[in-house]
Amino acid sequence: MEQILVNGAYLGAQYALIALGLTLIFALMNVMNFAHGQMYVLGGFVTYTIYGQLGMPYALALFVTAITLAVVGAVVEKFLFRPVIKRSQRDESTMLLAAGLGFFLDAVILLVFGEKQRGVPKLINGVFNWDFRVIMPYDRILIFALAVACIIGFMLFMQYSKTGRALRALAQDRDAAQLMGVDVDRYGMTGFALGAMLAGIVGGLLVTITGVNLGMGGPTSTKAFMMVMIGGAGVIPGAIFGGLILGFMESILLSTLASYGDITYLVIFVSLMIFLAIRPNGLMGKPWG
Amino acid sequence: MKKPLLQVNHLTKKFGGLTANHDISFQVFEQEILSVIGPNGAGKSTLFKLISSFLRTTSGEIIFDGNKISNLAPHIVARMGIVRTFQETTIFKNMTVRESVVVAHHIRAKANLFGYFLGTSTARAEEKEFARSADEILDFLQLSSLANEVASNLPQGHLRALGIAIGLASNPKILLLDEPFAGMNHDETMQMVELVRKVRDRGVTILLVEHDMAAVMRISDRIIVLNFGEKIAEGTPAEIQENEQVIEAYLGKEEDLVGLYTC
Amino acid sequence: MGLIIMQNKKILFTALFLIFVLVIIPSLIVMTSRWDLYYTLSSVALLAIASAGVWLTFYIGRINIGQGAFALVGGYVTAILITKAGFSFWLALPFSGLFAAFISVLIGLPILRLRGVYFAMITLVLTEVGRLSALALPITNGAKGISNIPLPGELSFAGITIIPDFASFENPRMAFYYLASVLMILCFATLYRLSNSRLGHLCRSMQQNEELTSSIGVNIAAIRIIIFALSSFMGGIGGSIFAVMSQSIYPSSFQVADSINFMLNCFLGGLGYVFGPMLGTVVLYFGWDLLFQTGKYQMLIYSSLLIISMLVLPNGLLSIRLSGRKKS
Repeated sequence: MEQILVNGAYLGAQYALIALGLTLIFALMNVMNFAHGQMYVLGGFVTYTIYGQLGMPYALALFVTAITLAVVGAVVEKFLFRPVIKRSQRDESTMLLAAGLGFFLDAVILLVFGEKQRGVPKLINGVFNWDFRVIMPYDRILIFALAVACIIGFMLFMQYSKTGRALRALAQDRDAAQLMGVDVDRYGMTGFALGAMLAGIVGGLLVTITGVNLGMGGPTSTKAFMMVMIGGAGVIPGAIFGGLILGFMESILLSTLASYGDITYLVIFVSLMIFLAIRPNGLMGKPWG
Repeated sequence: MKKPLLQVNHLTKKFGGLTANHDISFQVFEQEILSVIGPNGAGKSTLFKLISSFLRTTSGEIIFDGNKISNLAPHIVARMGIVRTFQETTIFKNMTVRESVVVAHHIRAKANLFGYFLGTSTARAEEKEFARSADEILDFLQLSSLANEVASNLPQGHLRALGIAIGLASNPKILLLDEPFAGMNHDETMQMVELVRKVRDRGVTILLVEHDMAAVMRISDRIIVLNFGEKIAEGTPAEIQENEQVIEAYLGKEEDLVGLYTC
Repeated sequence: MGLIIMQNKKILFTALFLIFVLVIIPSLIVMTSRWDLYYTLSSVALLAIASAGVWLTFYIGRINIGQGAFALVGGYVTAILITKAGFSFWLALPFSGLFAAFISVLIGLPILRLRGVYFAMITLVLTEVGRLSALALPITNGAKGISNIPLPGELSFAGITIIPDFASFENPRMAFYYLASVLMILCFATLYRLSNSRLGHLCRSMQQNEELTSSIGVNIAAIRIIIFALSSFMGGIGGSIFAVMSQSIYPSSFQVADSINFMLNCFLGGLGYVFGPMLGTVVLYFGWDLLFQTGKYQMLIYSSLLIISMLVLPNGLLSIRLSGRKKS
């Protein structure tokens, strides 16, 4: 039981971090970023290149990953999403643009990094073992700690920094924020960059555990959408809850349903659909986003 | 006095712990213009949505023409003859004025959806009749010259007239008008007052929710005043102007007073 | 006068289109002996049918990323009915569409209340649920799927053969081409009729404002269900023929990427135009095929073109023609 809970927390922390980026972008731009999973994969590959291939320190690799993805996010917002949002009133357009961007990033990753599964050397060796009740490799514990630190850092940033406050104002009421003198374009770009950066950081963290491959993008996006929906689209604490809930559900159901074959995700997805049908705004969402 | 067309009996609506409407009762008589006024947050729009069945009641009932209508689906209430208009942001943005009014005749349609699809003779005859009726309504509301304009291009005053045109198309017995004078200058308000009177003279009973005191005093046969979700007064415009409780309710909320007399 | 000319023009266009699809294309294939094109074109027609369904849900203002699930349902129902229950394909085909529609009503009742991103996401999850159910359920045979589905047999009525046994053709692919293209034509005729009927006007009203639509006495819940069921019916039909044509169906036959592609087809062609999904499917399918020669750059060029088209033509390909006409 302890093992299941620990696994759940480990998964949940990473999931929460992915969901945070997605929900931030949604809250600011009303864009469901279909390319979020691809951004995560891209982050994994950047870390792989710098840490795994070039042999530079991991901290530097993670830093470069964060910067790279932030730049990608900013560019994508400025040159793709902003013009499309300005010209089109339909939600569909940005959603499809995001889908197109997902394909594009997949193509870029395929060309630059290839389609093979890539891994990097372990950060730390050894396994934490508490009486065989909880077994956890040290590197996972480190990654868990880093993910939690990122979440706390992000929350503090949103709460106390000037940029964070402006982003929150923008997310709450775009028009009011504009009237109050918030530079909507600039902060929209900042928010998008931040969201992409979070996705990249998770990629950079997880490449040390699970490795990275091209095919991970789509499923990651789907999972991230689910977490965001559980918590309520566009609600930042909601994303953390959504991530934790999905992490624990996965860990609990994987161990309890193992004997029934591969139905864990079916059960999770179906229960999510039922939950959303009853409570469309998720746990903490505002009506209709 | 005439028999009431609409009766509201002890209507209460709670949102969680918040009581938006508490024990409200009144009657609406045929062919009168009845206004509901009150400061911001007095529960006017809640009452409005309850009557048009866009919200479910917590307790109490609404009787229309002898039938209980509270908590029926909005389209059924509309079919019975209680039709609401919306504030001007709620329109069919990408349709022309004429298209909007034609489609709003749906209530009168006798052919079923399959009939429309196949284009049966009933459906085609109805289409013709609706188009004719739509032109008549547009003419009546002086919108004919804008008939082929896309709705989102209309100026505010015309948008509101379009809202009324859409309402009239469904041949209502009672038309509920949601703040028909909001944001209008004096001249526009007076034109709108005339328009609403004309609609009443077609035989439509009018129930309106409004902020603009001057217009309400001018147009209404009777007025109901809400404050903090309760009915505090009911009477003719003259009676309401004399009512101490009403004056107090309005004076107590200074910012509303400013809003009332400056616009 | 103008009206009559327009009608004649329409009839002319329809006739030309029918001749093109049913006579010219097959003759060209015979002349060039490119028999493989039958298969490609049949696929395009089937994808266009499924995309037409997605277009319908767009028409009532819902972003539907669940069509893959309904195509999968259609495919599996056909496969199971034919291989396990011994049904004729001609019976299994309508049954598959109806079953998909039935499922969509069950699911639609709760979820059609949702709008915007919420509906989009829940239908995306639905596609995943479809795939995972196909993997998990005993009757669908897991990841191995169902293969060796026989070709459609003879369809006869009162002893008269209406459609001969597909296996008796020298080239069954041609038979599939006719089947798929005739159904596609029927499907788009339905769409055209619908969008020009009163039902279409009501759908457009709902797309723009559901509250106002219900205030003019329209039972929006009923229309939503009808349209969603029709949409899923088309998905089911598309999936059903697809299963029989490829003689197999797997959980991976229709997945999230396919659901997104259906959506892209509609969007590229133009959401405001009935024939948008057909054009979008043709362009995307052949665009992808043509780019095959670019080798490893195929995906890159394809996705770039897609993004550029969204930037330049936010209202779809068909908007070029119409905006051109308006200016003149």
